[in-house]
Amino acid sequence: MAGGRFSLDLARPSRQHWLGYILLAPAVLLIAAIIIYPLFVSVDLSFQNVGIARLDQPRRPFTTANYERLFTSPDFWNACWVTLKLIVIVTSACCLLGLGTALLVNNRFKGRSLARLFVAMPWAVPEVIAVVIFAWIFDSSFGLMNWIFLSLGFIDKTINWFSDPTAAFAVVATTMVWKGYPFVSIMCLAGLQSIPDDYYAAARVDGANAWQRLIHITLPNLRPVLGVTTILVMLWIFRDFSIIYVLTGGGPLKATQTLSIMTYEQAFGFFRMGYASAIGVVTLIICVIAAKLMMSRAPENL
Amino acid sequence: MRNSLKSWVLGGVAALALSTVALPALAQTKTLKFVSWQKDERGVGDWWASVIKEFETKNPGVKVEWTKVERGAYADTMTTLFAGGKPPEIVHLASFEFQKFADQGWLEDLSPYIKSSGLNLDGWAGQSSCQWKGKPVCIMMLYFGNIFAYNEEMLKKEGIAPPTNWAEYVAAARKLTKDTNGDGIPDQFGTGHETKGGGGQYLSELMNYTLDAGGRWTDNNGKVTINTPQMIEGLARWKEVVKNSLTPRDLTAGETRQMFADGRIAMKLDGPWLYPIILRGKAKDQIKIAAPPFNPPLGGSSNILGMASEIPADTKKLVWDFIAIATSDKFQTDYATLAASTPPSPRAKTDGAKAATPHFDLLVQTAQAASKAGVDRIPKGLEIQYNEFAKMIMEESQRMIIQDLDPKAVAATMQAKAEAIQKQ
Repeated sequence: MAGGRFSLDLARPSRQHWLGYILLAPAVLLIAAIIIYPLFVSVDLSFQNVGIARLDQPRRPFTTANYERLFTSPDFWNACWVTLKLIVIVTSACCLLGLGTALLVNNRFKGRSLARLFVAMPWAVPEVIAVVIFAWIFDSSFGLMNWIFLSLGFIDKTINWFSDPTAAFAVVATTMVWKGYPFVSIMCLAGLQSIPDDYYAAARVDGANAWQRLIHITLPNLRPVLGVTTILVMLWIFRDFSIIYVLTGGGPLKATQTLSIMTYEQAFGFFRMGYASAIGVVTLIICVIAAKLMMSRAPENL
Repeated sequence: MRNSLKSWVLGGVAALALSTVALPALAQTKTLKFVSWQKDERGVGDWWASVIKEFETKNPGVKVEWTKVERGAYADTMTTLFAGGKPPEIVHLASFEFQKFADQGWLEDLSPYIKSSGLNLDGWAGQSSCQWKGKPVCIMMLYFGNIFAYNEEMLKKEGIAPPTNWAEYVAAARKLTKDTNGDGIPDQFGTGHETKGGGGQYLSELMNYTLDAGGRWTDNNGKVTINTPQMIEGLARWKEVVKNSLTPRDLTAGETRQMFADGRIAMKLDGPWLYPIILRGKAKDQIKIAAPPFNPPLGGSSNILGMASEIPADTKKLVWDFIAIATSDKFQTDYATLAASTPPSPRAKTDGAKAATPHFDLLVQTAQAASKAGVDRIPKGLEIQYNEFAKMIMEESQRMIIQDLDPKAVAATMQAKAEAIQKQ
């Protein structure tokens, strides 16, 4: 059998790498089936005028109409602008809050374990539950936030949080920051613990104060972690759907309509799957470019 | 080792023996998939369960796999099932969404089945809406008229009689909206409407006012008729109610119904489904039901039953058996009693329903009044584009309220946008 016609002698030095390929094959095939194939279908659909897509239907004629319509649509540019605003605001807030809490719970103090637990807790809360909590907090008629603001005298009449475009955007951004900052915090905490204590000891000997130690030791050493984390947070905001959909559905007046919400609405609300695929493809391209740009600016060891 | 081998052999023989006995039995069991959002709804859910039980008794070896999908995810789920080539054999859809499925050719033409079974659909409420390209692709399961429910105790406390027209209604709503505990936040509302959620429900809430003002989205030929004095008046009324927060803001339809049932809202215009919610609420003893102060009342088709077209012929026959049971005189009579709603069949006996639901006659009257006035929530000529149209109306109405726009300008914008949507 060993010398048979179809034998595969993996022990031969020239074929040793075959085993690697064979072991990798199932994973590669699985990825091809669940990622590459749907991606290919999406790209293909985006070049067809399709209402409800079916795989067993004959392909419709090639057209670039979906992209032409997309780039001339004010709704698309509005969705891009809303997505960009959310990325900048939520990512910045998550990074600042995450880094701040990580620095806090990295210190030794009584109850540190409990504090770490509280910092990480929002991350463990399922997204939909977090949204329900925030929907109640910001309820226009019976919400906690209106009551607090009125009690403190900040406002003299209730804010209609979900009927006002600015307020609705603020609610969505706040919810996303609450849900997103613990991830940054956990990553930064891991990064902080990998910085050798000797660096700080040496800096203290040289007379560096806390601020100088943060700027010259902590942040440079955290850069790789912060870079990766920022990209991951940014991509999470890009693709996040449930927070916005449950809180505002993209409204009012499209003030919270991101690219992912727009894609969903066009596909399953208006049954324009060709057009929705075009939005999805453009979103993917924007994500890839943004991630690539951030990676290229990151240090080599990222 | 030998024992282990022996046990494996014996196990294998037993499994083989079992499979030879069990396989034919399994082969005899056929399953029909039935997806619905009404599974857990008190009343109507019980009625569907009774239809399924009857069907399974009449068709031994055939099971109905009944799955609940939330209304919010319903269109997505059904689209995915149909697009994936695995539709439920028994098709249950809302009356504003079946057109998309029919347009794709996914719903079977029911005319041969109606003809062969002798099902008489004369006088069947809302059945004309089930015609798609001249063919009946579904059976209407509910055509309703809105009722008017009010909290008698709240109205009495303010010395207000139940309103009978718009002027009395808005005056009452203004008087009943107040901050009862003095914390600066209004906690009692004159009326209640959904202002957060999907376009379809928003459109329905708004239509209470536009219909009373004499406005219609389209005429009988499907021509858009939004930029009219009647529609402008209707939009102005909606603006008055929402902008002045005579309704709690940013709540879903379910939340406003619950608030009304619990005594935080004084007046509510809604369909027959409000009554079971009232019965579970804290203020159930204070609530009275009357004819709506608006004329004509909002009404229309609600949900349909159909058959997937891409299923084998023998399965189609079984699905029709299911539809035949649901549309039989007996089950239409049961529908009135169990669901406390107006059955679409003119042959349904409603004596039992009248005994169980005190205001049943009123439900019938409002449904007839809406039907006589040709009212439906789905505008003629915009059936296929309904979701997009409803979303546009919701956004322009929100803009009118947020930016304090003149209803006249808003009506003109809606007219232009609706025409553009219709031309797509």
